[in-house]
Amino acid sequence: MGCATILAQRTLDYDHSVVSQVRIDLRDLGYPPVDLIPPDESAIRSLAVAPNGAVYGATSGHRSHLFVLYPQHGFVQPLGYLKDVTTVHRSLVVAGNGDVYIGGSIGVDNDGQGYGGYSGGHLLRYTPGANDEEKPIRVNAECPVQDLGIPVRGDGIYTLAIDGARQVIYGLTYPTARFFSYSIADGKFAVYGAVAEHRIPGEKFEKDRNIGRALAVDAEGRVYGSGGDGSLFRFNPVTRVIEKLPLAAATVPGREPYNRVDCWTSSTDGVLYGGTSDGYLFRFNTKSETLENLGKPLNQYRIRGLAFAHNGKLYGVGGNDGEMARLFSYDAARGVYEMLGMVDVNHRPYYSWQAYVIDAVAMGNDGTLYLGQSERKSKLYLYYPE
Amino acid sequence: MNRKISRRAVLGGALTALLPAPAEFGANASLRIAHRVFPDLEEMDGNWAALLAASDGKVYAGLANHGGGGHLVWYDSKTDAMHDAGNLTELCGESALRRGPQSKIHAKFGEGKDGRIYFGTHGGLWWNYSRFATKEGYPGAHWMAFDPKTRRVEDFGLGVPNEGINTGAYDPLFHRIYGLTHPRGHLVYYDVAARKSVDVGRINNWESICRTLGIDDEGNVYGSFGAGQIFRYDPKSDTIRELEARVPIQLKGISLGRDYDKSETAWRTVVWDRQTRKFYGVDESATILFSFDPHAGHDGEIRRLGQLCIPGFEDRRDVPYATLSLTLGRDRKLYYGAAAKEFDYEGSAGAEASHLITYDLETGKKQDLGEMLLEDGCRVLGTNAADTGPDGTIYLVGAIEVRTRAGEPVRAAGKVAGVPYRLALLMYRPH
Repeated sequence: MGCATILAQRTLDYDHSVVSQVRIDLRDLGYPPVDLIPPDESAIRSLAVAPNGAVYGATSGHRSHLFVLYPQHGFVQPLGYLKDVTTVHRSLVVAGNGDVYIGGSIGVDNDGQGYGGYSGGHLLRYTPGANDEEKPIRVNAECPVQDLGIPVRGDGIYTLAIDGARQVIYGLTYPTARFFSYSIADGKFAVYGAVAEHRIPGEKFEKDRNIGRALAVDAEGRVYGSGGDGSLFRFNPVTRVIEKLPLAAATVPGREPYNRVDCWTSSTDGVLYGGTSDGYLFRFNTKSETLENLGKPLNQYRIRGLAFAHNGKLYGVGGNDGEMARLFSYDAARGVYEMLGMVDVNHRPYYSWQAYVIDAVAMGNDGTLYLGQSERKSKLYLYYPE
Repeated sequence: MNRKISRRAVLGGALTALLPAPAEFGANASLRIAHRVFPDLEEMDGNWAALLAASDGKVYAGLANHGGGGHLVWYDSKTDAMHDAGNLTELCGESALRRGPQSKIHAKFGEGKDGRIYFGTHGGLWWNYSRFATKEGYPGAHWMAFDPKTRRVEDFGLGVPNEGINTGAYDPLFHRIYGLTHPRGHLVYYDVAARKSVDVGRINNWESICRTLGIDDEGNVYGSFGAGQIFRYDPKSDTIRELEARVPIQLKGISLGRDYDKSETAWRTVVWDRQTRKFYGVDESATILFSFDPHAGHDGEIRRLGQLCIPGFEDRRDVPYATLSLTLGRDRKLYYGAAAKEFDYEGSAGAEASHLITYDLETGKKQDLGEMLLEDGCRVLGTNAADTGPDGTIYLVGAIEVRTRAGEPVRAAGKVAGVPYRLALLMYRPH
């Protein structure tokens, strides 16, 4: 029995299980010890990058908070809490003019707990101010947002995507899986129907529908996601119709009803890559509508986020809520994975913190990969790809 | 299975009575300590915090076995007999799983109003988490209770998937077993009446999980994190608050040994004093003794009282990492098993005899009672659990030196810096 295995203390060999320690760092969500987004409110479940490079994030917990990181300054600046919002799940997008859109809810993937009597999740807009960078942090101040309304009465907003060119935001709701759009120009919602009509075939206590956790918009403005039975769907903005495609999110045969698209990203040539809740990576060509299963990088469930780096590699994070998050990369040109390790920062004696759950991933304009930890006490991680 | 071990086996030929007070042996030199081994359990290789001297005179211990099933044992002080409640993996019904065994009880037991003894189990080997949450890995901790009347264990089931109960405490007021999990450092509890397991959320980083939860007389639960910070969990409001009070600690990077490489520095252990309604504890980096009054003001009040390390270590960087062996005696003295070299069984820094240190709460005087030696002169190499019996006997569990004899098998669990050791229950009766 080696000492490291017995002692539950950190020894040098542990460093072989985590990402390279010169490629990763973390930031507190604010300015310790007081001006921090507090524990129980700090789980990061949404990240988005603005055209000017600012990285926005939204947290979930007892309250949700909006924050920003300006890469030039390098620190997280809380912007205030979002009134009556406890969850912002993959629902943060930034328009071309820098406006930040936030979709709120009171919880997701929880068999609909709390939704009886709920009026519905609001779409909010935060307009950055000219002097935002100089504002003092007031964690307990309300974030000044404009309430754009509720897309679907009684439902929370589950995920958002934006067609920047056409100025349209698309979303899915929870728990009834409605697909909707919001026209930024007109300020109007439209709802097109449910992408999953029934709960998953499961135990009596399993009441959730199989709703894809992310949407992707291609160059033609078509929107893709997954719905009931794990099938992919396509929304055509011209016909304004949702079509179920004869394709399912990649998994083993038979598990389609329990599998969904967890995340999407696009290569520079417009090919979509997706990760599934069963932990598979796939490639989807929207022109030919062909799907290729690229395999399962990790011995774990979930791919929580994907992003292409400036070196051409695709980076992703996997791991279920009860597991330990791991980072990997995929070289699409060679079809090769590289396992990078657990998401951990060890800068002792100053700080050291491992993220067991990551639920948001975004690539900064300068090539920094941002990973949002989603636990009771959470940090924002910065990974620097080679 | 409940197995009574024969009286002769327990005593191994040693004296039957607790030995005289230290004065007869030279208080400044050494202290002779009575002991009882755990017969046929010499494979058990560690014990951390899992010791309870119950109100009926029974003394419970959780014995760890890395790579195999740990055991729950109890010593009946009235009959001087040792009993083995059984292999924890078997008691959890997991023998056929061929997954990570229930290797430990790594946390304090608690005695309920119903007389039952409550605890949670823990895993042993983690392999840098390469098997965490996999099919062959540790399935998770069970919440359990031992009934001394029936001598049976009730298994409340798997309460924490994939993780062990690294730290634990039982609250008789709210009838809950609390824990901090390993490796993810979550505060969890089992509500016995409601038969419900709850995960409150993350507190620590995996290599700095606070080793002791303190519970006050109102059911509030306290633990330590960060740089000597304290949290309070209030069961009435189901909320956690970080307090302003700070445990006195050594600045990170000064104390060598285990604290040096940890990301957080916390209290190592605390004990509750019913009389003053305060906690007394030691920090992990330099064995700084402090009192913590949780009811003083909004955030409680902490006072530094000195250091409980062996005299001479106070200003040294190689002050041994604090142990978990702290208890409050009926004589209003704190008793602490102080290591002479950093002690963690096979992970120890050296093999030297531990000392028994006292601190008188009334006078503020510290006394080193000396090196702890057994009746035959074998050294007590280290301890990591202590409790006080209803009759005032001070109990500890730790590693005792095993001397090899030519032609005889070595009945040892492993080695502390090259010296064979096994676990034993140690007993000291103050004047």
